[in-house]
Amino acid sequence: MSGETVLDRAAASDRAERVPTDWRGDAMKRRIARRYAAERRFRLWGMAAVLVSAGFLAFLLISMMGNGLRGFTQTEVAVPIDFPRSPALIDPAVLATNPEQALASANLPAVLEQATREAFGLPETQILSPNAVLTLRKAIISDPTILQRKATVNLPASTGLDVAMKSDGTPADEALVAKLGDAGALSTAFNIGFLTGSDGTDPTMVGIWGALKGSLITMVITLALSFPIGVFAALYLEEYAPRNRWTDLIEVSINNLAAVPSIIFGLLGLAIFLNVMHLPRSAPLVGGMTLALMTMPVIVIAGRNAIKAVPPSIRDAALGIGASPVQVVFHHVLPLALPGILTGTIIGMARALGETAPLLMIGMRAFVSQPPGGFTDPATVLPVQIFLWSDEVGRGFIEKTSAAIIVLLAFLLTMNSIAIFLRNKFEKKW
Amino acid sequence: MTGVMIVLIIGALGVIGWIIARARATRLQAEVGRLATNSRPTQHGWYVALWTMLPAFAFLAVWANVMPALIADSVLATPAAQSLPTDDFSRNAILAEAQSIATGSQAAAFNPQATELVEPYRVATTRYSTMGAILAAILAFACGAYALSRVRPAFTARHRVEKVVMWSLLGASLIAIVTTAGIVASLVFESMRFFSMVNPFNFLFGLNWSPQSAAMGYGNEDAFGAVPLFWGTIFIGAIIAMIVAIPLGLMSAIYLTQYARPTTRKWMKPILEVLAGVPTVVYGYFAALTVAPALRSLAVSLGISNASSESALAAGLVMGIMIIPFVSSMADDSIAAVPQSMRDGSLAMGATTSETIRKVLIPAALPGVVGGVLLAVSRAIGETMIVVMAAGLAANLTLNPFSSVTTVTTQMVQLLTGDQEFDSAKTLAAFALGLVLFVVTLLLNIVALRVVKKYREAYE
Repeated sequence: MSGETVLDRAAASDRAERVPTDWRGDAMKRRIARRYAAERRFRLWGMAAVLVSAGFLAFLLISMMGNGLRGFTQTEVAVPIDFPRSPALIDPAVLATNPEQALASANLPAVLEQATREAFGLPETQILSPNAVLTLRKAIISDPTILQRKATVNLPASTGLDVAMKSDGTPADEALVAKLGDAGALSTAFNIGFLTGSDGTDPTMVGIWGALKGSLITMVITLALSFPIGVFAALYLEEYAPRNRWTDLIEVSINNLAAVPSIIFGLLGLAIFLNVMHLPRSAPLVGGMTLALMTMPVIVIAGRNAIKAVPPSIRDAALGIGASPVQVVFHHVLPLALPGILTGTIIGMARALGETAPLLMIGMRAFVSQPPGGFTDPATVLPVQIFLWSDEVGRGFIEKTSAAIIVLLAFLLTMNSIAIFLRNKFEKKW
Repeated sequence: MTGVMIVLIIGALGVIGWIIARARATRLQAEVGRLATNSRPTQHGWYVALWTMLPAFAFLAVWANVMPALIADSVLATPAAQSLPTDDFSRNAILAEAQSIATGSQAAAFNPQATELVEPYRVATTRYSTMGAILAAILAFACGAYALSRVRPAFTARHRVEKVVMWSLLGASLIAIVTTAGIVASLVFESMRFFSMVNPFNFLFGLNWSPQSAAMGYGNEDAFGAVPLFWGTIFIGAIIAMIVAIPLGLMSAIYLTQYARPTTRKWMKPILEVLAGVPTVVYGYFAALTVAPALRSLAVSLGISNASSESALAAGLVMGIMIIPFVSSMADDSIAAVPQSMRDGSLAMGATTSETIRKVLIPAALPGVVGGVLLAVSRAIGETMIVVMAAGLAANLTLNPFSSVTTVTTQMVQLLTGDQEFDSAKTLAAFALGLVLFVVTLLLNIVALRVVKKYREAYE
């Protein structure tokens, strides 16, 4: 209907003199309304896209928080232990001088076994974590007088009990929680062991310190190699390099390396560092070298942009009063470009810290239950630890994995905020 | 004497040389006058320090590579080594054991013969490392003294130091080429070994992927058909992930550049960029733990009975979300590069903002957007952890997004994380897959950069 009128008019205007457009006509009003509706829809689609993307991030973070915060706490069982009657074989004299030795041979598992049987009528393994012996040992060392009396000690609960206490466990464990809860024996405490421990077989015993230390050592190697190499390469390409085929080749390879999938760097590390150079497998040294090759192009590209932003007048002024090209760069250009380079470095390091695939290739997925002592010790890093725990079938590992993710994300967000802060603080308009 | 100690000692010698040379140059300068000297005292200091340290470190680097052979020779010459087995393999195993006990990384020996060799090992190691340390120290002294003797008013220390600096700058930038060459060489070399066992044609066009059966001795020829892996990679990375990432990324970029208020933009842009900063292992865990089970129950409720708990859809969806910032920032850039006059012209004609965007900005920015999408695809197909954790291991040639598929990167991880020798077709296949991945991502990147560049020039 409305279409016809508009068409008729158009046809008429061809034949006769042009009739002025009727902007107030119904057809035009409808047409404009339709166009405005399309405009609003389009705008809403855009807003929806942003909200969906941000919402996904929020969902990811919240679900990790929901799963992971429980990983920082631990269920404890208050176990009454009658030490004088227990089968503990502790020599008070040795205890006073060398408590570790005295308790190592004290048969504490039997003490716990008897205590849990008397208090709850159940075997120790069903109620307590394998870690409980360590906790009991610490309790005795801190207060040896409890050996003379009947005392109640808070001990970490078994995985099944822990899971049942925090969320849904097996029916048997749920019943146990109900029973112990009625007796007032259950409580929740901060799990300090999660921050100080290493990988283990039982979810109540594992911690992230080993992986975190491995990550830190690996990052030290990565930074020590990629930062100087990256900055030097950026300086050379931006300040001194002649324009010829060689520098083009260097440029192309740097840009290309920045886009190579990370797993390919793992293959390189495997083929060159392990198979040709025979460096130790699973070592932070090799991991750091591999990640350094990956991070270097990021630093070069950021560095070149920062160096490019330093105005030529500064170089000209320095050259004009007799400085050599090396002095110009190291005394003037580099200090001015440093904030930009640092920003790029932090972003590159954050990427390296979260990287998993290349490290799997060079064997950093071994079970490592001790924090590494040096650059060549077998080690694991935080993302790989997350990957390894995610493969574990035990229910208790889900919250540990998510808790480790929270720690990793906290590190990354901190690094990224520092980078943004640096960028805002030192951003200069010349 | 440990390696760290000797490095520290040489470093200290360098510092001492720096201080002495600087003091001497300062004195000389005071005698002859500032203008008569070629270089500043500090530059003389650096000259001597470099001469002290560089030759000594170079010697140590060589020595560290020669020393193991020297030690092994002298251990083999001892009487305790006469009774060793003659075949190389078991002899080297015993030697390696003795070495690890001697260096303290192993507490006790499994092989009694290794225990006898520990003492000779220790003696030889001490002898040769002391020898190396003394030689390095002598070298540092000699070269340092030589350099110190050259400190004269007219000596061009600055020129020489700067030459070293320039060479090290050049060396640093050559590392990129060396790395690229290393990647290509190792991929090609190991792939050649693989292709000597498996026909490249069967690898590139075969439809059956079952490396496990090849490893168990059923023959190599039919077990390494990589087409299902290529399909899985394309299905997840180039199809499902892009169906998620292109609309969301493009619309986000449009909204944030054209509609959003400056404050909204200032906050939302970094928030979206966080999506690219989340480690992929976290995405993988999220995909496997939350997304995949949800999709499986969705599929079951839709009546799809064979829905897998590891599905192409879960991996692709999450990967698409990860890719959003790449698409949106590339689209952002290319929309911003469209001249303002084109936008103003369209608006002046009475077009609404959305009409301007759809009919003017997007067509003008299209090459840039396409380039960005290609870069995103290249990143998606090289992505490892999400697909390792969420996509599954079954090599299926299927169009069903709810079924499990496997990808090139997943199989690379699978092939290389077991305990197997490095000359079986199974492990070498990972390098052949790596080569294909490398070539494909390289081509995608080159094409994408060409497209973007060409388009940029149009408005300049």
